[in-house]
Amino acid sequence: MNRELPITAVQEALRRRSRLWTPVYLLLALVFLIGLVGTALGLIVLLRVSQNHTPRYADIVEHFKYGSIGAEQNSGIPYRVWRALPRLFPEAFEQRDDYSAFGFLYENDADDRPRDLPIGIARRIDRSVEVVWFNCATCHTGTVSLPNRDDKAHSARLVVPAMPSNNLDLYRFIRFLLDSATDERLSPDILIPAINQTGPKLGCIEEAIYRWYVIPALREGLVTRRSRLLPLLEKQPPWGPGRVDTFGPYKRIQANMPMSSLLPEELIGTADFPSIFQQGPREGMHLHWDGNNTSLAERNLSAALGAGVTPETVDHAAIDRIADWLKSLRPPPSPYRTDAVAVARGRDTYMKHDCVACHGYRDVQGYVFKGEKLGQVELNYDPKVEPNKQLGVDPHRLDSYTERLRDFQVAELFKGTPYQFKSFEKTFGYANLPLDGLWTRAPYLHNGSIPTLADLLEPPEKRPAKFLRGIDKLDPNRGGFVAPACDSMPAQANHFCFDTSLPGNNNTGHRYGTNLSPAEKSDLLAYLLTF
Amino acid sequence: MNQDVIFTPLRFRNLEVKNRIFRSSISGRFDNEDGSLTQTRINWECKFAKGGVGAIISSYVPVLMEGRIIAGYATVHRDAFIPHWQKLGEAVHSFDCKFIMQLSHSGRQLDIPGVHNYTRPALSSTSRKETLHGILCRAMSLPEIHHTIKAFARAAWRAREAGLDGVELHAANGYLFTQFLSSGINDRTDEYGGSLANRARFLLDVIQAIRAEVGGGYHLQVKISAVDHNNVIPWEKKGNTLQESIEVARWCEAAGADAIHVSTGSLFPHPLNPPGDFSFETAAATYDVAISSGVSTFRNYILFRYPVLRPIFRWLWFRMKRGRPVEGVGLDEARAIKAAVKIPVISTGGWQSAAKIRDAINSGDCDGIAIARSLIANPDLLRFWAAGDDLPPRPCTYCNRCLLNAPKNPLGCYEPLRFPDHETMVEQLMTVYNTHPELRVPQPAEVFP
Repeated sequence: MNRELPITAVQEALRRRSRLWTPVYLLLALVFLIGLVGTALGLIVLLRVSQNHTPRYADIVEHFKYGSIGAEQNSGIPYRVWRALPRLFPEAFEQRDDYSAFGFLYENDADDRPRDLPIGIARRIDRSVEVVWFNCATCHTGTVSLPNRDDKAHSARLVVPAMPSNNLDLYRFIRFLLDSATDERLSPDILIPAINQTGPKLGCIEEAIYRWYVIPALREGLVTRRSRLLPLLEKQPPWGPGRVDTFGPYKRIQANMPMSSLLPEELIGTADFPSIFQQGPREGMHLHWDGNNTSLAERNLSAALGAGVTPETVDHAAIDRIADWLKSLRPPPSPYRTDAVAVARGRDTYMKHDCVACHGYRDVQGYVFKGEKLGQVELNYDPKVEPNKQLGVDPHRLDSYTERLRDFQVAELFKGTPYQFKSFEKTFGYANLPLDGLWTRAPYLHNGSIPTLADLLEPPEKRPAKFLRGIDKLDPNRGGFVAPACDSMPAQANHFCFDTSLPGNNNTGHRYGTNLSPAEKSDLLAYLLTF
Repeated sequence: MNQDVIFTPLRFRNLEVKNRIFRSSISGRFDNEDGSLTQTRINWECKFAKGGVGAIISSYVPVLMEGRIIAGYATVHRDAFIPHWQKLGEAVHSFDCKFIMQLSHSGRQLDIPGVHNYTRPALSSTSRKETLHGILCRAMSLPEIHHTIKAFARAAWRAREAGLDGVELHAANGYLFTQFLSSGINDRTDEYGGSLANRARFLLDVIQAIRAEVGGGYHLQVKISAVDHNNVIPWEKKGNTLQESIEVARWCEAAGADAIHVSTGSLFPHPLNPPGDFSFETAAATYDVAISSGVSTFRNYILFRYPVLRPIFRWLWFRMKRGRPVEGVGLDEARAIKAAVKIPVISTGGWQSAAKIRDAINSGDCDGIAIARSLIANPDLLRFWAAGDDLPPRPCTYCNRCLLNAPKNPLGCYEPLRFPDHETMVEQLMTVYNTHPELRVPQPAEVFP
């Protein structure tokens, strides 16, 4: 079609001008277009970068097991890397395609399909990358295998939220992660193909993000954490399943105290994961093994810091929801079938020897939080001269919490917020703990150095010196989990030889009841098995 | 009691006007596309003649078709139009009023070119486009200049043949003469550009050519801008100063001019001419007819149309007005020129108050006053003065809506404050069309198939 000729001189001039300016207009249009595309891309990137959301679970147990408390942003591992690690490090994962080798627990979902993440691992989309990390259930959900009454050869395995994570070998898991930071298999060239093999192939933009940002940031974070934690972990005997050093990593990660400034006696703070049933009655008691805090809320936040949250990322609402639920969560009833008469006699013994003063008691309706010294750190001696004198158990956990750490916590953590710590105190003895859900809490004492209740009623020299941890089968007679001597059976995955001669593992102290007669001990045990 | 100086005759060398008031040049699209004037034009001029002014300076009358500002204004480029002008002259004379034809050429200030002109750039002293509307132009060649000079002389001759009382050369307000005179516009390097004498050459050549054509006994006055104020668009040069204009006035006198009519500004309209307000709503409603006329007109229309953009033009337009009166805005310049020449000087610019006019004339600042807008509002303004009033009951407000409507709508007063309602205003506008035409059947020879 012929273009119409201009009619007026002005039109001709404008047409000439438009011809002259066409390249400029085109250039401007191009610049505008590039700007538009750039802005759009920028907005998309901004939108993705500003993404920060996590699944919410209506069911409180699901929330406890899988919901986020805000630890993923600071401490998490990208989900796709999480999925790829078992394939890259088969030796650490014992050839399994999941994290059960470290004692993580897997369940099926409501549709009976296997879940891709274990209990205690929450997910969150952070800056467009899905990251996973710990929540409360990591350390506070365990299993109990009960003999199947119909089929004696097989047992039923109960997953018990809020009991200690008796299977989780956190030390081994953390060591693995820290070591992987320096392993070439975590380089993008090896990790990305493994990611692609263990899930949908990364798109080119996503791959670039992983190659140039996600993986380097992960490695850098792990290397930093390694430089902080490894010198401490190397000073400690492996924790074994069901145990953690609560305050040692605190000193290195949050407080960044130089290793050289830490005293030898404060280096090992390894203790058992506690159960967290029925927190409501515990408000005001001396919480933690050494009773260093009387505020449930502070204790919860402090534990969340241990799980990886920061004052910036912490999800208070999620934690409060769990805390409310835990206030009244009762432990499952004891599965032990005990002789009622023996239990009654045992109760008498318990009362007669005033166990109730320190540990409360159980009546027909359940555990009763009453006892004049229940939940207290006993200080009826000069604690600074002879700390831990009365109980006489392994002092390492007590000594690991120092005035210096306390000062740091109170001064720095959640500073300037309503959550700022103020209730932490250095104590000089272990707290007398309530015994609710006692049957789920083996091995016993703060450091898990005594496998069964029966062993606890024996004098230290008769208690097992070395035994296997990591077996969740209830010992039907002795109370606690089956804990054969280390060399009594062939080594199995997850079994860990607990050596009480190692620092922090000492099984001395708490000699109460060791002088009872065998019959009294048997009755007392029967009573304790009902807790 | 002494006689009111307004109503004393003004005697020029070749003309006597009964009083001191001149209806200043205003146009209106009343005429035919071929340039022949109409009964409407006659009616229009008679309004003022009847109203009592001493003389009417005609609408802007192009001496060539290429010199129109707006198509639809009567021209004097053909001998055939002499009888038309003669009729107009008779009509005005019948009210004891003189009629002076304003001989003009738009140059590049060609607002609405019409079918004759829209295919070619306007002729000017320069090839640089007009600054406000972006009207395209081309520097005239010497033959074109000489042709134009002759056209002015022939036009003066036609005016005299038509029995009109004199001619005025429109050498003000940005039209072709200004485009030669102004140092802000004229960028020629030949004998018509450069020095003031060269820039004034075109005007002086025209005066001399007219004198050669009509002799020394015919009234010839020259309207000049005393100061150019050419920098309405801030980066433009300022143009001619008062001193330069005084020199030009002297040269005009020497060349044979009978009077100097003093205005201001090197473009039209200009912030100082006509002085007063600027109605953006009116501009937004009427400027559309000029959009196709220039390369910057659309930009201007946008600036008028959208309130958010209006401050830009408002700043541009009003910055020059600060500190200046509306009424008698050019009196200082008129006084300066009056002091430099012996011929009478006419001042224009916002005049309306009898007292101020008396003062201006009595103090010898000028000899006559030219008025346009105040007479559009009150064509019988002089009757109020004669009755002893200083101002009419509904004076001109200087809203300039008459000016802004002129390119699109019938000329008249558009100030809503002066009318009880819109219909009354329209009635006032329509009075000029009271033509009573004598329609007739054309002879076959008059019809062109």
